[in-house]
Amino acid sequence: MKLGAATILSSSLIIEKLAAIENEKRDPLSFKKTSFGQNLDLNTFDQASKYNNFYEFSLKKNEPAKLAHTLKTDPWSIKISGEVENPFTVSLDEIKNSYPLEERIYRFRCVEAWAIVLPWIGFPLSYILKKAKPNSKAKYVKFTTLYDPKQFPDQSKGVFGNIPYPYVEGLRIDEAMNELTLLGVGMYGKSLPKQNGAPIRLVVPWKYGFKSIKSIVSIELVEKEPQNTWKAINPREYGFYANVNPNVDHPRWSQARERKLGSFFKQRTLMFNGYEKEVAGMYKNMDLRKFI
Amino acid sequence: MKKKILLFLVLLLPFANMLLHLQSAIDPIKYIYIQTGTTAISLLIVALLLPWLKRVVNLLRYRRMVGLFVFFYAFLHFLNFFVLDAELSISFVIKQTLDKPFIYLGMISFSILTFMAVTSKKSIFRRFAKWHQLVYGAIVLVTIHASMSQKVLSIVEYFYIFIMIFFIARKLKERFGFRFFKRYFSTLVPF
Repeated sequence: MKLGAATILSSSLIIEKLAAIENEKRDPLSFKKTSFGQNLDLNTFDQASKYNNFYEFSLKKNEPAKLAHTLKTDPWSIKISGEVENPFTVSLDEIKNSYPLEERIYRFRCVEAWAIVLPWIGFPLSYILKKAKPNSKAKYVKFTTLYDPKQFPDQSKGVFGNIPYPYVEGLRIDEAMNELTLLGVGMYGKSLPKQNGAPIRLVVPWKYGFKSIKSIVSIELVEKEPQNTWKAINPREYGFYANVNPNVDHPRWSQARERKLGSFFKQRTLMFNGYEKEVAGMYKNMDLRKFI
Repeated sequence: MKKKILLFLVLLLPFANMLLHLQSAIDPIKYIYIQTGTTAISLLIVALLLPWLKRVVNLLRYRRMVGLFVFFYAFLHFLNFFVLDAELSISFVIKQTLDKPFIYLGMISFSILTFMAVTSKKSIFRRFAKWHQLVYGAIVLVTIHASMSQKVLSIVEYFYIFIMIFFIARKLKERFGFRFFKRYFSTLVPF
């Protein structure tokens, strides 16, 4: 019966904690502005940093912002390996200094039918792949999130965890080399908040958000299609491609429209999330109902 | 009477709380779904617990009011679907209801609750009392519906499933006697 009163109390505590998070230090980055998404209506930093799917911390959207302080993003390095001529391991600092960072405003669409527009800072994934020189067997790219139960509380729960870890995602090599595909290191002018996948994450704007894997430690070029985490959990509902497609519903809900964060009104979901011109060619001979 | 007014106000608290936080909700439609849905299920569990608690504290006379509030929150939940989510498109609502188990399970549960709310009036309740057993169907469907709303199950959904099994087992025991229960369910719930 005291449910209501308890909820009021707990949410005021949450507000206090959230106020503390806003003060989390984010490193300034130097980057150049681009014309990507200049016509789009930006969401706020608050919306982007307090509404996160990061199951390594929690299933709840507001919890990663409160729990992510356990993630240690410095020092950090990424290993690039597999079917490449030049495998290497590189520190985050080196990455930031090796490639010119740029800001791009992209649409981002979650498979759960919410959507956001935000300014990422990063560089095309192709830069780092070209440096590694993929060989002729490199047909796919496999990405892996950090596995460390000390830093990610849900990873310490074993079989009782939310999902199997480490989180794995994959792209076909042409998708990975596409100009739109970024490795993101920042947003809203500064480095990524931890709950948004710091220090480095994938940004693939024409695919459902779960493809844009967070806190990456490994990029491996492989010959066969890698088993991505959500497809492994439920292949009927989540595929390898996960292209945003308003004409193909999730078995449980419609994907035709979306809830842009902060709005009481829904809007149309665009084919390939509005990036049809840039990416449709890669899928022209594929049945998009089959390859979800 | 005073107690009833107090209870009425307490049962309105989740609604007031929701209105208070709606303005700052990041994903408002989802927020309304979660708040109205969890409140409706929680109150449904409370309503179904009252008979079992009778020996400890007899609150059965408040059961109808709790039940009507279950309907109230389920109605807000439905309204959210129809007005904000479906944007008043009747064809969308019908298509989704026919197409998607997630939606029709919710719709069937809501129909059961509507029927119960309408026939709960004292003057006609006796005639329909027998049909109010349908509430056990509603709790099963609503549990599945709530579980389907998540990409993966969390402790909350496991709790609902546990409670549902408890209610159904108790009901079967009451209905068919201890021997039936022992034969089929003794391994499931140890009591």
